[in-house]
Amino acid sequence: MNEYKYDDLYLGLTESFEYIVTQERMDLFRELSGDVNPLHNDAAFAQSKGFDDKVVYGLLSASLISRLGGVLLPGKYCLIQQVQCKFPSPAYVGDTLSVSGVVEELNDTVRQAVIGVTIKNQFNRKIVKAKLFVGFLGES
Amino acid sequence: MDREALYVKLNEVFRDVFDDDSIVVCDTTTADDIEDWDSLEHINLVVAVEKKFGIKFNMGEVNNFKNVGEMVDAILLKI
Repeated sequence: MNEYKYDDLYLGLTESFEYIVTQERMDLFRELSGDVNPLHNDAAFAQSKGFDDKVVYGLLSASLISRLGGVLLPGKYCLIQQVQCKFPSPAYVGDTLSVSGVVEELNDTVRQAVIGVTIKNQFNRKIVKAKLFVGFLGES
Repeated sequence: MDREALYVKLNEVFRDVFDDDSIVVCDTTTADDIEDWDSLEHINLVVAVEKKFGIKFNMGEVNNFKNVGEMVDAILLKI
């Protein structure tokens, strides 16, 4: 786990990791969230709506932002204040997602970092585009 | 920029941050007057004001503004 504090950060600092979406992880997310919508659970339904297969829960993909902030950037002292999120393309079970965060803005007065987050699949297609606004434990 | 012109710009910031076009702030406005003005939105407000006016507050002053009028006083000293 990284332990960046506000003063350690600089514009352009980047952290990343990969994540494979498995059916087991989809099942766990369905259990946690209670979202039984057929788009995520019924391949025939999803295909009838124009998708290749069952669509991975957008918020399962977006949940990786929690890991990015809480473990890598900034890590231990992270206090997530706000997330702005878009889902430009669907992800499917079996996809390998590349999660990347880059420090885009440092707001000194309020000790807040704004991290641009991009999650892409193995074909380099953007699955999630987000901005993560974080404060720092013990600094506010 | 005079105080009146500053308020025109400041109202734009408040309306944008709080997503409420009916907001009109004045010297005596406080967080108690705007329902969504909590500690998180205060951070967003400070950042938005700094960007709008091209200024930087210091941490001490943003925590000590008693009302919008004191924020305006600080802005006028910095622009």
